[in-house]
Amino acid sequence: MDAPHYVAARVQRALAEDERTVELGIRVDVRGNQIFLRGRVSAPERRLLIEDVAREAAPGLSVHNEITLVEVREPGEEEHL
Amino acid sequence: MTETRIAAVADIHMGEDLRGHFRPKLHGIENRAEVLLVGGDLTRHGTVAEGRVVADELRDLPIPVIAVLGNHDYHSDAEQAITAILRDAGVTVLDDEATILSLDGTTLGVVGGKGFGGGFAGKCASEFGEPETKAFVRHTRQIADRWRRALKELDTDHRIVLSHYSPVKDTLMGEPTEIYPFLGSYLLAEAADEEGADLIVHGHAHLGTEKGLTPGGIQVRNVAVPVIGSAYTVYCLNGA
Ligand SMILES: [Fe+2]
Ligand SMILES: [Fe+2]
Repeated sequence: MDAPHYVAARVQRALAEDERTVELGIRVDVRGNQIFLRGRVSAPERRLLIEDVAREAAPGLSVHNEITLVEVREPGEEEHL
Repeated sequence: MTETRIAAVADIHMGEDLRGHFRPKLHGIENRAEVLLVGGDLTRHGTVAEGRVVADELRDLPIPVIAVLGNHDYHSDAEQAITAILRDAGVTVLDDEATILSLDGTTLGVVGGKGFGGGFAGKCASEFGEPETKAFVRHTRQIADRWRRALKELDTDHRIVLSHYSPVKDTLMGEPTEIYPFLGSYLLAEAADEEGADLIVHGHAHLGTEKGLTPGGIQVRNVAVPVIGSAYTVYCLNGA
């Protein structure tokens, strides 16, 4: 089995370079045979797509998708500078 | 004393699947702000098709829209085409240059460009060694020089710098420190500190935090959508 370090790098690179994701904002941590994905994205489909791409890049490992959804709310209070 | 209200957002990362999703959130923006700044990463892959989606989302807003591109918008080598499409839609796209708006008797100057990386004082790359390393750092330095010149020439009541990359570390809090050199450069802050500005707005650091300050005391705001969690945030500058 590859060292966790290289697995994490491979997944990170797949997320960035795969045409389906082109995602640079996800943290990838590998512990043993588990991959943890953390970050924030704007759509539920995107969250699942990132999980798919990560799974393909590291077959056989169990993926923990801890990516949360950004809820794009109405703008809040203005800030006075 | 009239206030100038600046709406700002970055990293909207539009694609065909998000067509029509962003525009409705800008409804009524003219009642909340005098101008909208968009800090780059308008697209995901930097394709012309995605550029058209962005243009349609921003077209004919009741307030002026000023934008810069981000690294994603360069990914398909179509940055010039995207810039032209946005300009056709009435968006002012800044590429290391300034624009001046006259808002209700107050003048606002915005200097902008995508910026670049290199890291932060004491922990940054320098123009030394291999040509690739020199080119990386030189790119940022040349951008900072152009911003410095543009700021020097701006004689407006207010001055804002609009960037994609971050000028400070403060607003990167939450990102792994190992990648800070790819998230911004202190050279961008140094240029603004030398010439003075009221606010620096940027994006790029999706895991970062909103508020920061340059060493010279200029307010910095990271307005990446995942950071602000809304379609834009409004910052008010006091009357001049
Ligand atoms: Fe981004
Ligand atoms: Fe970016």
